[in-house]
Amino acid sequence: MPIRILSPEIASQIAAGEVVERPASVVKELLENSLDAEATFVSIKIEGAGQRLIEVTDNGSGISETELPIAVERHATSKLSTSQDLFHITTLGFRGEALASIGSVARLTITSRPLDADVGTRLKVDAGHSSPIEPVGAPVGTQVRVEDLFYNVPARLKFLKHETTERRLIDNLVTRYALAYPQVRFHLFQENKPALQTSGNGDRREILAALFGVEQARQMLDVLAQDDWMHVTGFISPTSLTRSHRRDITFFVNGRPVQDAALAAALLKGYHTLLMVGRYPIAVLFLQMPPELVDVNVHPAKAEVRFREPERIFTGLQGAIRRALLAYTPVPGLQAQLRWAPENPPAPTSRQIDPAWNLDQVSARKGWQVEMQPELDRQPTDELPGGAAHALAGQPSFPDTRVPILRLVGQVANAYLVAEGPDGLYLIDQHAAHERVLFERFMSQLPEVLPSQSLLQPATVDLPPANARLLTDQLPFLARLGFQVETFGPHTFLVRAVPNLLAGSDPAAALRVLVEDFEEDETPLQAEREARLVARVCKRAAVKAGHALSPDEQRALLSDLEACQSPRTCPHGRPTMIHLSVDLLERQFGRRGAR
Amino acid sequence: MKVTVLQENLAHGLSIVSRAVSPRSTLPVLANVLMATDEGRLRLSATNLELGITCWIGAKIEEDGSTTVPARTFTDLVSTLSDREVGMSLNVRTQTLNVRCGASNTDLKCIDAQEFPPMPAVDTSDGLQIKVSELKEMIQQVVFAASTDDARPILTGVLMTVKGGKVTLAAADGFRLSVRKADLASTSGHSISAVIPARALSELARIASDGEQLVTMVMPRGRGQVVFRTKDVELVSQLIDGTFPDYEQIIPTKFKTRAVLSTSAFLKACRQAEIFAREGSHIARINILATGELQPGSVEISGQSEETGSNQNIVEATIEGPNILIAFNVRFLREVLDVIRTPNVALETSTDTAPGMLRPVGAQVADGEFLHVIMPMHLGS
Repeated sequence: MPIRILSPEIASQIAAGEVVERPASVVKELLENSLDAEATFVSIKIEGAGQRLIEVTDNGSGISETELPIAVERHATSKLSTSQDLFHITTLGFRGEALASIGSVARLTITSRPLDADVGTRLKVDAGHSSPIEPVGAPVGTQVRVEDLFYNVPARLKFLKHETTERRLIDNLVTRYALAYPQVRFHLFQENKPALQTSGNGDRREILAALFGVEQARQMLDVLAQDDWMHVTGFISPTSLTRSHRRDITFFVNGRPVQDAALAAALLKGYHTLLMVGRYPIAVLFLQMPPELVDVNVHPAKAEVRFREPERIFTGLQGAIRRALLAYTPVPGLQAQLRWAPENPPAPTSRQIDPAWNLDQVSARKGWQVEMQPELDRQPTDELPGGAAHALAGQPSFPDTRVPILRLVGQVANAYLVAEGPDGLYLIDQHAAHERVLFERFMSQLPEVLPSQSLLQPATVDLPPANARLLTDQLPFLARLGFQVETFGPHTFLVRAVPNLLAGSDPAAALRVLVEDFEEDETPLQAEREARLVARVCKRAAVKAGHALSPDEQRALLSDLEACQSPRTCPHGRPTMIHLSVDLLERQFGRRGAR
Repeated sequence: MKVTVLQENLAHGLSIVSRAVSPRSTLPVLANVLMATDEGRLRLSATNLELGITCWIGAKIEEDGSTTVPARTFTDLVSTLSDREVGMSLNVRTQTLNVRCGASNTDLKCIDAQEFPPMPAVDTSDGLQIKVSELKEMIQQVVFAASTDDARPILTGVLMTVKGGKVTLAAADGFRLSVRKADLASTSGHSISAVIPARALSELARIASDGEQLVTMVMPRGRGQVVFRTKDVELVSQLIDGTFPDYEQIIPTKFKTRAVLSTSAFLKACRQAEIFAREGSHIARINILATGELQPGSVEISGQSEETGSNQNIVEATIEGPNILIAFNVRFLREVLDVIRTPNVALETSTDTAPGMLRPVGAQVADGEFLHVIMPMHLGS
């Protein structure tokens, strides 16, 4: 094939791919333009999750009649003129690509009127071809309509995620900009319903509530630190409020949202030793510094930046975080605990006292059988015929994974059961085992609607928008589980009845835990999602470690576990039991020669 | 300290206060019982900082003093002593208590009484008075409905309101509500509303033995505590902070179907149904059937589970209103029927999703004296 110069259309579509990859990136570019135009009010309308329509209207400075046709050309911008300016960028945009890129992959209509003009002008661009401008009546400011996004790039359309996901991304994006610009009034309408409305009165905590829910927003701590050239403000979560992922860590550098692993590392360093392994804080932090100290011209979507003096910034940030945490973290109160608590927590080194009992070494010697299902067993369910049915059962079951009949020996540390089987000793984690038992019982009953217990007074639950949307989607399934939940306002729900199994615990907390940190993208299959929800209900209802069980309860748990399809792991994949074979015991006691 | 007491009295006193001992506390002295001479009697006290119980027993005092004895050891020792006088003398310097009884001689290591949390004296002169037997019955009729889940501390308490010579106890765990009203033995001008831990009230019902006595209740201002006092026992409990749910609005004011049936037959039927329901979802189905104009109606109570089988019981009843099939947690039914003393009980409800109300029926029961609301369960299919 001969080498040729690409046609301008294809070239601009390729370039558009860097800037515009999904509806949310269009919203981002248009929003930044509005903010650069010093708008004090920005209204965004989304239809069809952004594929049908994205409309951004602002009351900013507007584009004059003569500039409008140039604005949609590539590399056209008002924000920069010399290459020196590139190192003093004070605006959000500067590349001059946004409108051109959007114009090449959608039908674009720009209507604008600067303050000093009498009439507005309108320009239409369809897949890169602009039609002549026409005068129209318009209020001061600019309105950009993007219709049928990616209609000429079917490949891109195919890679868009589910509509709820795209909507959620837009929600998150706009809310974060609203946080960064609290003095600007934002209105976001998704499918003609208000999704976010801020007052523009400069109160960030109010917007924080829209992002994380009132309850969590109230808990967030203020961060305020300043040295001679950097200014840090924002919010971080107290150590009691954590997530299992880092996605709720957001940084703004000079008003621009950035993803920076090093900044996140500095934040986590600030939390060092205060958080459990695998837990991450929630943070929204705004860094202000002279523009010449950051280079934003690194990434087409400007999601990354480079700092001129990274170390100083990181140490400054880490210090600010640590100070805020220590200032607010209360000394944990002394409370009466029923839980068995050793006076001296067992030192992690104790295992190494006798090398013969070093677990790692011994398991390498094959004698110890840590009965864990290898990761391989979890087959990608959607590739299997009848994958849904498989997914419903949680993990694939194997006939030989059943446990033999066990004889109870007793309970250890109020957390583990000790039992004897025909082939040796079994140590069983009571919480994980109970979780598994409940999970299988639930799943076997699920084709029918499960019984539920009504509440004396319905409990109200306030959720962050993303969780609320997920919950709304899953309401029919939750009703089958026994949760009778009604919507009671945009992000508020009324719990009228809970599954019988959860009758002992706080209904509001039970519902919240169900959807918190829930990843809807991870599994596209509804059956898999349902299995996950059930697993969460079970985790909540299962007996906790630290709970003393009567011998009858212990025996019942063992026999229930024996009846399970895949008793060796809990629904989350952790092992429920460790098996010490007779053979191993004999070797360890020197009754049989070491191999 | 040098005192002589009767073994019987000492054992009784220890059994009363031992319920407040906290054996696993980080504060070692809380595993001990305070013994102190107090105006011609011996005072025994134990506390876990939430609940404190004090008991006075008669003693012959030769020398005043105080110390704290390890509760477990001392109780075990006293219970094995022969039924006669027990002489105790304390060596203050070594904090060793010498206990002599008959041929038995024991030296017991003690902890200085200075380390024991102070139990402030309370003025009970202007307290509210109520008969022990009545208070005991009231407590038994509500405490079981309190929550045992620490996640919602306010529901682990019992709301006590005093207004115009009447006292009301109310407890709810989110699924059921128990309310009991009674008259005070003494009228009091001020009204009170406080949430008392259900556990403290259970202990009170246990230790207040003499039914004819009066119990005096005081809430010292600004201390967040409630004190119950009888002639020789005092119980102090921390109150629970917070707002108790407004239960008045939960109590249904109307009903469509009302069934009056024998309490004991209903209770027996529930006990049987529970044997089968407890394996599954604890559901008891209550089928209220008004058969005809001249025949008595019937209530069918049934429980079932896949593993064990099923059970039905039919109890004759007087029915007003339409037939209804409603399901309740059988344990909830059994627990309330257990504390209803009248021969007959009324079950009132409107639909299978509306709350069910149980109340005793009988001439000797004042209207609204006791009522119990249970939320129904929803059957799967």
